[in-house]
Amino acid sequence: MAYRTKADFLLWLAVVGLAGWIIPGGGHFLIQQPKRGIVIFVTITLTFCLGLYIGSIGVIDSVGGWAWYLGQMIATPAVRILDGMTRSGTYISRGRPCDLGQIYTAVAGLLNLLSIISAMYMAYSGRGELIGQEDENA
Amino acid sequence: MPEWNAILASFTTPEHIGTTAMSMLLMFPLLLAIAIIYKTTKLRAFFWKTMVRETIILFGVLSGFMILAIVVLNLVVWLMTS
Repeated sequence: MAYRTKADFLLWLAVVGLAGWIIPGGGHFLIQQPKRGIVIFVTITLTFCLGLYIGSIGVIDSVGGWAWYLGQMIATPAVRILDGMTRSGTYISRGRPCDLGQIYTAVAGLLNLLSIISAMYMAYSGRGELIGQEDENA
Repeated sequence: MPEWNAILASFTTPEHIGTTAMSMLLMFPLLLAIAIIYKTTKLRAFFWKTMVRETIILFGVLSGFMILAIVVLNLVVWLMTS
């Protein structure tokens, strides 16, 4: 893909990163890597949901567990909505389920960070387009 | 619709997880997720067969090291307390 200016190229990288944040794997879809995108989406979504299932949505706590919340926020901005729901204190999670839930959800977020960096790097180096064509021909 | 409500409700109360050896099994889904994402982002060309093979190998290595760490830590605790 030919970019008119450097600003266009930087904007494209930002769009890829943003897509990967909003929907896990979305960045890879944009750079014509749908297989990677599907695997990333399914894996991160399942990991995040498993964390919520184990510890309940109470594990998302931007006040009491702000450090975990930073990791959780990288998984998807939708975490902000869940945080709004748990602010009332109705959904309380304590002890071992809470620990495991926080670990699962935060690790899902950190894995998404890895995916975002990977998508942006592929977009930067043009690898996505080249390898995408190799995949199609295979 | 009731099924959907039941599914959503299951996310509002924590599961009961005791401090038992069986609860250690919960690390394996996380290790699998790490292995899958790592290999998905690192493989130069994405082919399903290669991806699955590499993921299984990495998952095995990660699991092996974790089990080894558990055994060593248990051994240390056993030596200290016996």
